[in-house]
Amino acid sequence: MTTIKVTTRNGDTRDLQAQEGFSVMEAIRDAGIEEVLALCGGCLSCATCHVYVDPAFTDVLPPLSDDENELLDSSSHRNECSRLSCQLVVSDALKGLAVTVAPED
Amino acid sequence: MATMPEEVSPSISRARAPKPAHVPDDRVYEIDMYQLDGIEEGYHEAWKRVQTPGIPDLVWTPFTGGHWIATNGDTVREIYSDPSRFSSGVIFLPKEAGEKYDMVPTRMDPPEHTPYRKTLDKGLNLGRMRTVETKVREVAIDLIESFVGAGRCEFSGEYANIFPVRVFMALADLPMADAPMLGRFAKMMTRPEGNTPEEMAAALDAGNRGLIDYVDPIIRQRRGGDSDDLISIMINAEINGEPIAHEKALGLIALLLLAGLDTVVNFLSFMMIHLARNPALVAELREDNLKLMRSAEEMFRRFPVVSEARMVAKDQEYRGLQLKRGDMILLPTALHGLDEAENPDPWRVNLERRGMSHSTFGGGPHRCAGMHLARMEVIVTLEEWLKRIPEFSLAEGARPVYHSGTVAAVDDVPLVWPTASSPQ
Repeated sequence: MTTIKVTTRNGDTRDLQAQEGFSVMEAIRDAGIEEVLALCGGCLSCATCHVYVDPAFTDVLPPLSDDENELLDSSSHRNECSRLSCQLVVSDALKGLAVTVAPED
Repeated sequence: MATMPEEVSPSISRARAPKPAHVPDDRVYEIDMYQLDGIEEGYHEAWKRVQTPGIPDLVWTPFTGGHWIATNGDTVREIYSDPSRFSSGVIFLPKEAGEKYDMVPTRMDPPEHTPYRKTLDKGLNLGRMRTVETKVREVAIDLIESFVGAGRCEFSGEYANIFPVRVFMALADLPMADAPMLGRFAKMMTRPEGNTPEEMAAALDAGNRGLIDYVDPIIRQRRGGDSDDLISIMINAEINGEPIAHEKALGLIALLLLAGLDTVVNFLSFMMIHLARNPALVAELREDNLKLMRSAEEMFRRFPVVSEARMVAKDQEYRGLQLKRGDMILLPTALHGLDEAENPDPWRVNLERRGMSHSTFGGGPHRCAGMHLARMEVIVTLEEWLKRIPEFSLAEGARPVYHSGTVAAVDDVPLVWPTASSPQ
């Protein structure tokens, strides 16, 4: 298990226990944080698991794929820290990862 | 299959192309994408018959002008994702018909494709879809309320063929009265009539021209306006800093009609037939709205409706074959979502499925721009339907009629449910 910090839209921060090999989206969803709709379950077709990742972790994140980049482009709330949490697979490298749920599009 | 003596078996009257020299004999399979063997049992079931254990990744059929077919999820996904090897230069089969297809930007490859795609996204992105959700919901409620008291409906004719079309006509600010004609044009393109590539090309061309001629005066009229309907937003966008050329605008808006009028329409009927046969699944959807919303993706995986093609961009060796530039490869998305190697127990709609994989929206740079609209239409349909019709089934003796093509279709879907006057 790896601990990740999630800040929800109202500013509350929670520590979640995330299982290696699962995605950050799954960890958030399975913790019952319903504002992350995560509608497509990780198929990269909905952009409803958009988070901002603490810039301290930028270097350990997997690169953006074209599909992820395009979906993020369609959000009005994209910034340089934007990622789709379904594309971030939990591992030791992401220990202590801090993400903030992006506003709803 | 037993054939009545007076009937001519379709596969006899269908034109066959001679096998090119680079196609090995053992890759020839007789598969007619417009008249699949076993289609009377179901469209997905018929495609799945092709995916026998040990079948090569690519097979070649002499029907529909002669073309390759990708037979599993891994191959379908890879071909969609690589425009440098597999071009969108022609995407509908037979190739003779696909060459008549004038939609934009579905036949472009990157980088030409990119700015047009951005224009499409501008009208169809998630944020914009959220602003139209109330309108979409009203359309669904009106339709369901019109037949809920009767305790029955013919779902494909009374809901599926109307709802996405009404939604689309409202978003594009077009008169509802034009919808049936546009629907006919779309069908001429996705399931063109004819037994030879030439006949099918003529049918597709007529549908294509019908759509283009329809949008021409509308585009001229809305050019330069500031309305926020889908058409105005797109034709007033810039392409590489210039106003979009009229010829390109014709193809772009005609594509919206084609894609908006024939895809979700058919998907919804496939989904509802399954739900009507699986009351436990319906109960699961009723219990938890977030689960219902998240079920849409599993439905997309389970009921793909599109089989379009890619054209081999250059002579190349691929998966043990020599492919020639210009060869066509059909990508049946049904053979991705229903492939056990991608999705264990694929026939089951499993709302807890992890790591699902499908190409129902295609893939690569051309992935369906309308996927957010499609998802919203499915969710709204399920929500509003189950609020009013919590339990339903197929009428006794129901015999849905399936059709295959670039977009699959199903007719005759009689659904019944208990009402106060007829509790069943």
